[in-house]
Amino acid sequence: MQPTRCLLKRSVWKGPHIVPLPIVRPEPGKKIVPIRTQARSATILPNFVGLKFQIHNGMVYHDLTVTEEMVGHKLGEFAMTRKTYHGPHSDRYKKN
Amino acid sequence: MVFILGVNFHEQKLVKKALETFYALGPQISARVMAKHYIHPRAKMGTLPPKTVTALTAELSSMTIESEARKIVQDNIKRLRDMGTYRGRRHAMGLPVRGQNTRTQIATAKRLNKVERAG
Repeated sequence: MQPTRCLLKRSVWKGPHIVPLPIVRPEPGKKIVPIRTQARSATILPNFVGLKFQIHNGMVYHDLTVTEEMVGHKLGEFAMTRKTYHGPHSDRYKKN
Repeated sequence: MVFILGVNFHEQKLVKKALETFYALGPQISARVMAKHYIHPRAKMGTLPPKTVTALTAELSSMTIESEARKIVQDNIKRLRDMGTYRGRRHAMGLPVRGQNTRTQIATAKRLNKVERAG
């Protein structure tokens, strides 16, 4: 693996793709309110760690709790947009 | 027959090709290793003196090749899978990871894309 691999993703001068999200720091002891968003292309920043998100997949919102290793990925990577293909002979289509 | 890192090579085999049989050792690194040990680019295994053979074995054993290199790749895939990313899931399903079509021509992905990737 080349050492420059991560630099080929995006120009450095642009910085990460930052989307203004309505982030409210939860007070300790209170319940964490998930942040509902459709911005799938938003980069996960280090200050997102521990927050809860609800990410749109085109139809419904998927829950996600951000952990430390998710930093640098996009929100959309964690909300699947496709149904799994079961095939015509799977159990769910068989009668009785 | 010449032994390098526990592998038996035929005397007529090119040294360059013999080095490239190891996983994670490509044309660039093999050329660099051969230059370091003063081996001609088209030299064959039979022409190597025993001193060079032992030196090559010592050199290769200190590099991250074969199982160590495979472990790095597998760890990267496992990290994606444990996080639950799209790429990790596609690896687990054995399907193309980078948005290719899947109607036809996914033999390579089916062969290689696994969580415990072998190749």
